[in-house]
Amino acid sequence: MPSWNSELYKYPLYLILHPFNGFWELKYERSRKMNLVISLVILFLLIVMKIMKTQYSGFLVNIVYPDSINSLMETLYVVVPVLFWCVANWSLTTLMDGEGKFVDIFTSTCFALVPLLVIQLPWIGLSNLISLEEVSFYQFFNSLSVLWCAYLLFVGNMTVQQYSPSKTIGTIILTIVAMAFMAFLCLLFFSLIQQMIAFVQVIHQEIVLRR
Amino acid sequence: MMWVQKKIYLLIALCCLVGIGAGGTMVQAADGAESYNYSYWGLTTVAPAAYQANVLWNGESIGAGAFKEPSDFHVTEDQQIYVLDSGNNRVVVLDNKFQQVQTISSFVHGGKEETFNNPQGLFVTGNKQLVVADTGNKRIVQLDQSNNLIKVIEAPKSDMLNEKFDFQPVRVVVDKAQRIYVMSTGVYDGFMEFSPDGTFTSFVGANKVFFNPTDYLWKMLSTKAQKSQMVMFTPTEFTNLDIDQEGFIYATNGQESGNVKKLNAQGNDILRRNGYFAPEGDIRYRTADGPSRLIDIDVGDSEIFSILDGKRGRIFTYDGDGHLLYVFGGMGNQMGQFNTPVAIERLGDEFLVLDKALGEITVFQTTEYGRTLNEAVRAYYNGDEDKAYSLYQQTINMNSNLEFAYAGIGKSLLRQGDYHEAMKYFKESMDQKDYSKAFLLYRKEVLREYFPGIMTGVLLVIVCWFGISKYRKRKGVKKVAFMEQ
Repeated sequence: MPSWNSELYKYPLYLILHPFNGFWELKYERSRKMNLVISLVILFLLIVMKIMKTQYSGFLVNIVYPDSINSLMETLYVVVPVLFWCVANWSLTTLMDGEGKFVDIFTSTCFALVPLLVIQLPWIGLSNLISLEEVSFYQFFNSLSVLWCAYLLFVGNMTVQQYSPSKTIGTIILTIVAMAFMAFLCLLFFSLIQQMIAFVQVIHQEIVLRR
Repeated sequence: MMWVQKKIYLLIALCCLVGIGAGGTMVQAADGAESYNYSYWGLTTVAPAAYQANVLWNGESIGAGAFKEPSDFHVTEDQQIYVLDSGNNRVVVLDNKFQQVQTISSFVHGGKEETFNNPQGLFVTGNKQLVVADTGNKRIVQLDQSNNLIKVIEAPKSDMLNEKFDFQPVRVVVDKAQRIYVMSTGVYDGFMEFSPDGTFTSFVGANKVFFNPTDYLWKMLSTKAQKSQMVMFTPTEFTNLDIDQEGFIYATNGQESGNVKKLNAQGNDILRRNGYFAPEGDIRYRTADGPSRLIDIDVGDSEIFSILDGKRGRIFTYDGDGHLLYVFGGMGNQMGQFNTPVAIERLGDEFLVLDKALGEITVFQTTEYGRTLNEAVRAYYNGDEDKAYSLYQQTINMNSNLEFAYAGIGKSLLRQGDYHEAMKYFKESMDQKDYSKAFLLYRKEVLREYFPGIMTGVLLVIVCWFGISKYRKRKGVKKVAFMEQ
């Protein structure tokens, strides 16, 4: 059994280079607890990277209004899409005879996001060392990481659910639709809650002032 | 006793604090936060006033009798002011001290004495010929230096013009080649260009047609008979024009954006819009108030131009690259505010604003800030970067919100070879292009300096890595050998 430390970084790197074997092992051969720990670490690193990206990327690729930088919002931008994706995917695949449990879906999704980390993290530093003509490299590598990520999501979903490729593509499209639906429901929910709170507040005010 | 003393100390300290506070506010009040500028982020930032209204002239104080609805004026190169007193059908000529020189109210045409009828626009050429858009009489009148008639341009006849064409000239400019450009009410095809002998040649610089998609859909769905009843999609009319020393026409129109144009001889728009926002007056306004309605434009030296917003009475001045320099004016009853501003002109570095309803000319003079900024822009335009550097430095000392000035400083630092410092200034003015330029040079400089060190480091790393892997291999072999035993 390899040591805990090297396992943390060696396995995800193996997985992104050998996705079919990697995801198979993830689902059937590795300890679930370990996978979950690695997934959470990946998610945490992604949050850190997102915050660092808005803060430390070079001037030529990153013009942000300083007052609009908010680390809490950056955290949400990472966590919310991942959770939405997992929940939407899980709700769909349970109805479509997928074999993945929620934990499997969550870990496979997090592992699929590793290319973002591997490629974009060094580019935060590198973006400070490039000129305007070299910005296209930055953009190329960024889109490469996103494409790689999408490929891994596809393979991960296929392996974890034991689907055919065409069914996986269909599920992914449906998942995106479901995510949009969930976003709509969340907005509705929050605005209703807001209205209710406002209503109670107004009544409270009314009582206080009428005395 | 002790605590009484303590209290006194406290009181003194408090007084000092209050004193400091009061001093601070007083400085601000003297600065006058009524002027503003727009930051890169589209936010309104306070700026010191660049111009202040000092003098107000009306017909009586000039000595020509009250003006009645003056609608246009023009300042010649030798600083004479020609005021078109439309309601009284006359042209009043003033010197640069605002004293009346002469009044032109009639001219001899075909042996008869004729007058103007509600003229709306005038222009004075370099050799002091007076050209008046005599709107009520539907003609253009051109007089020479001693007020003798040179020619009258009546409504032109041309294939390009409709038979029912109604010639109502309202504004007029003349270029160096004596071609006359006329803005006529109800003409959507641009300005009318007349050759020096007074024949109509062509239209220049028509505005683009803007229409509403829903209107377009209705029009597509309707029949020919219905269509003929509908309003036609026509280009917007121009609202005013001016001409610079090189013969380019600067024009304003009533659109929401793209409302300032610089037209070349072919009628193409060649205005540089390199500022943070295109020159179009206010970019932040309440939806109820709407965007600026530009009604006059004035071009000064060094490509500096100013536009007049008739809605809010503000004058916006831009440099040739389209950076907003300063804003002043407003609607109201105080000095430096207007009721119905109609025209702006420059008299040297002073600004004159003509108010139609009040019949008054407001004179704005530069403050120290305005003077420095004007000089800085001129120095930069003339390529005198050292002078521009120190002047821009002075302007940002007076107004640290003036973002584009940092780029001006950066450019001269770049020229001086201080790349790292230049990068900082370009970053301050959000100028990515020049930042990249400075950065490349800086990177080259740094790499050249540290090249030997970097190469040695890289070599060392390679050797070490090689050595370690060899060592490991041997160890590995040993292990295997050990296991085989």
